[in-house]
Amino acid sequence: MTSVVLEGYGLTKRFGPATALAGVGLAIGRGEAVAIMGPSGSGKSTLLHCLAGIMKPDEGEVRLLGQRVDTMGERERSALRRTRFGFVFQFGQLLPELPADENVALPLMLGGVSRRDAVRRAREWFGPLGLGGMEERRPGELSGGQAQRVAIARALVTRPAVVFADEPTGALDQTTGHDTMRLLVEATRGGDASLVVVTHDPQVARWCDRTVEVRDGRIMAGVDA
Amino acid sequence: MRAALGLGGRLLRAGGRRGLLSAGLTAVAVTVCTALLLFAVSANVAFAGRGDREAWRNPVPAKGRAVAVQAVHVDYVRDRRITVVELAALEPGAPPPPGLDRFPAPGEVWLSPALAELADELPADQLADRFAGRRGGTVGDEALVHPGELVAVRGWAPDSPVPAGKGADEPRGEVASTRISDFAGEPTPDAQGYRILALIASVLMAVPLLVFGGAAARLTVARRDQRLAALRLVGATPGQVVAMTAAEAVITAFAGAVAGTLLYVLLIPALTGIEIAGGSWFAADLWPGVPYTLAVLAAVPLLVGLSAVIGLRRVVVGPLGVAKRETPPGMRFVRVAVLLAVLAVVPTLSVGSGGGVIAVVLGLAFLSINLAGPWVVGLIGRITAGTARGPVRLLAGRRLVDDPRAAWRTVSGVALTGFVAGFVVLLNPSADLLGEADASRLRVSIPAARADAVAAEARERLAAAGVRAGTEVTGGGGEGGGKVLVVALGVREAGAPGKAEAGEKAGQGEKTDARVDAPVDAPVDAPVDAALVDRARTALDGLVPGRRATSTADDDRFGRLLIGDIGTGTIVVLTVSFLVAVVSAGITAVSSVLDRRQTYALLRLAGTPLKVLDRARRAETLIPLAVMGGGSIAVGLFCALPFAITGLDAGGLATLLACVLLGFAGVVGAGAVSAPVLRSVTENPAPRPD
Repeated sequence: MTSVVLEGYGLTKRFGPATALAGVGLAIGRGEAVAIMGPSGSGKSTLLHCLAGIMKPDEGEVRLLGQRVDTMGERERSALRRTRFGFVFQFGQLLPELPADENVALPLMLGGVSRRDAVRRAREWFGPLGLGGMEERRPGELSGGQAQRVAIARALVTRPAVVFADEPTGALDQTTGHDTMRLLVEATRGGDASLVVVTHDPQVARWCDRTVEVRDGRIMAGVDA
Repeated sequence: MRAALGLGGRLLRAGGRRGLLSAGLTAVAVTVCTALLLFAVSANVAFAGRGDREAWRNPVPAKGRAVAVQAVHVDYVRDRRITVVELAALEPGAPPPPGLDRFPAPGEVWLSPALAELADELPADQLADRFAGRRGGTVGDEALVHPGELVAVRGWAPDSPVPAGKGADEPRGEVASTRISDFAGEPTPDAQGYRILALIASVLMAVPLLVFGGAAARLTVARRDQRLAALRLVGATPGQVVAMTAAEAVITAFAGAVAGTLLYVLLIPALTGIEIAGGSWFAADLWPGVPYTLAVLAAVPLLVGLSAVIGLRRVVVGPLGVAKRETPPGMRFVRVAVLLAVLAVVPTLSVGSGGGVIAVVLGLAFLSINLAGPWVVGLIGRITAGTARGPVRLLAGRRLVDDPRAAWRTVSGVALTGFVAGFVVLLNPSADLLGEADASRLRVSIPAARADAVAAEARERLAAAGVRAGTEVTGGGGEGGGKVLVVALGVREAGAPGKAEAGEKAGQGEKTDARVDAPVDAPVDAPVDAALVDRARTALDGLVPGRRATSTADDDRFGRLLIGDIGTGTIVVLTVSFLVAVVSAGITAVSSVLDRRQTYALLRLAGTPLKVLDRARRAETLIPLAVMGGGSIAVGLFCALPFAITGLDAGGLATLLACVLLGFAGVVGAGAVSAPVLRSVTENPAPRPD
């Protein structure tokens, strides 16, 4: 494996009496695409949230390039998510009132980039992702696949170290879903970022370098593509 | 229909914590609306009640057989008005006037509780001596305009000169002796004037209330439209969706209306303390009565239900209507054109325009601001987004462009209050208009034929009372070609003993060495206080039957009272408007966070600082508030220009500034209430358990 970018050791997370994660360990290499699969309630999204600093594990450690993430305060973790991570979700991540280019530019503006530069850099992603001419459309005027590609652009515009995707094709038909996955994987690799995808669709997992299966809060198997 | 209503009720009950929270927000809004609406209704009922209780003192001449003679005089003590009703029965068994359990016998005096208390409290030569006679009893509440009113009822023999005397040009509130067949009377012009003012104040309070109530209902629908769209997708007919929505809104609103009624009842004791027209209120005055209460309890839920149904049109028209978020069509300029057209009519109005015309133009201006508001908010949004350099203003601007109506709902309350403030402050006359009131010169109308004798008696009475004063008889001014005796209090004749020599204590209302033959234009060198004036009034009481000693300050008293009352009314209307505006802003802010909780949660998840989200939310309220609040004040001032007596004085400017500060502080405070809700919905952005 190439050098490790993100790793988690002995991650345990409980919700009341239910144990969502029971001592999970996972390492993500630079530029690597990893699919996390498992049935509903298996703990795969909880694993993603712990790795992404959205949630603090009850036990265990998370490190990004050797730096502890799980011990950071909320403000530091927010800053980390904004600058070092990118996110793609099933739906709802685009702001309906912003046109597509401003949706993509928003993370840059939040990081202090001027609006003009942020929009210019955002628009650079539209052509490669097949979104040319849709810069000023609002999310309601885009198809599901187009909206997901805008979300991919937004996740990558800050040049993150890791992109997290939670069921990115869950709301799309099969053909559009495959196109979206192809673009997500290609764009992530092109940006020299790693990719962590949570899915229960083997077709989606097939686009990744490696698949880990989670059941009852434990990693059952790892499968290289 | 019954099934739909039942389902609506079940959906409401089964809405979970979030559903209950949104229903609770609507209920709170409706509670406040209902309580304030009942207050607006009660104000009219209360003034009508006052008018009815006062009517017996404004007698109607008997058309048939007269049973009594009635006259009304006005007197003053300590700057307070005393209404003195003189009565003489023309036949045995004359009916008692309201508030008395029998007709007052000749020589009897009945006093209201407040007057009896004051008569006991003050030295007799300042008040009680004016009502010498056998105490018949206490005038009951049903004959009093307000609890603290000073009223005396005196019984006379039918052939007595007081009730039989006939005067012309009676001063305000006085009635020449009138033969009456009963005590029905009719409301006084002053009472009718107050009723009209109360009606205008009610309209000014009710319009923002209705706008707010409608907004609250539509906000509730906005949170439900996704679920109702799903119902349409599974085959519910538009009628069923409408019925379910209406049922849910009406049930919630009814609960709020009942709570609002209870809240209003609890507030009545505090509200009775508002002093208008010289006094506070009986608690019963402010209870609107069962029919009006039932009407409000029925009307509020129905209006909320209707508003909810109107808000659901998009869902009813098509099941996918609410799912798609497209570029909203721009607001049409005709909204602003309507406002401009109404404003173009305003300069043609004048004080002489009919009350109905003024009310219609005022109402139209009010409503057209509400119409133009969203268009202006959209324009502000485009400018804000276009010039934004950072994410806060960009988010705020785009949000304003996306849904200008929603943004307008947040600020409309304060903007409409700005209109009211702008309108009323320019109309609020200043007491300075009346000039300096002189209480030190009393005047009594005296018969020309006996002028010298009456003046001499006046001097004797004043001397006996220890009141130093100059006196002069002037021609004219008295009715019927009579003369006027002018009494200048505190005037010392040249060479008369000075303060030190005389041991001057007039200021304390105690008797001193009195010189009463000084000229009236001699300099006033002894302090003239209320006690001295009351002693002089008491001394001169009965000098001429039916005539009281009055000053120019007394002449201005009603004007000052009215000016004070308009000021009080303005404060009441503005307070109600601000309450509506602030509650409206708070509920809208919380609802807005709940509506957009998923977006906020995902933004937060992606690392957006809470501070940025909060600042964006504040900006999307404060930017339109600044523009629309200022604009509305300007429109209010413009609408008031044709009727303005004077320009904007310091008091008016202070009121306006207070309105602006309170408006901003209220909206910022209300927005701050929603900050914990924002924190709560973004606290755990990863709620999925798998």
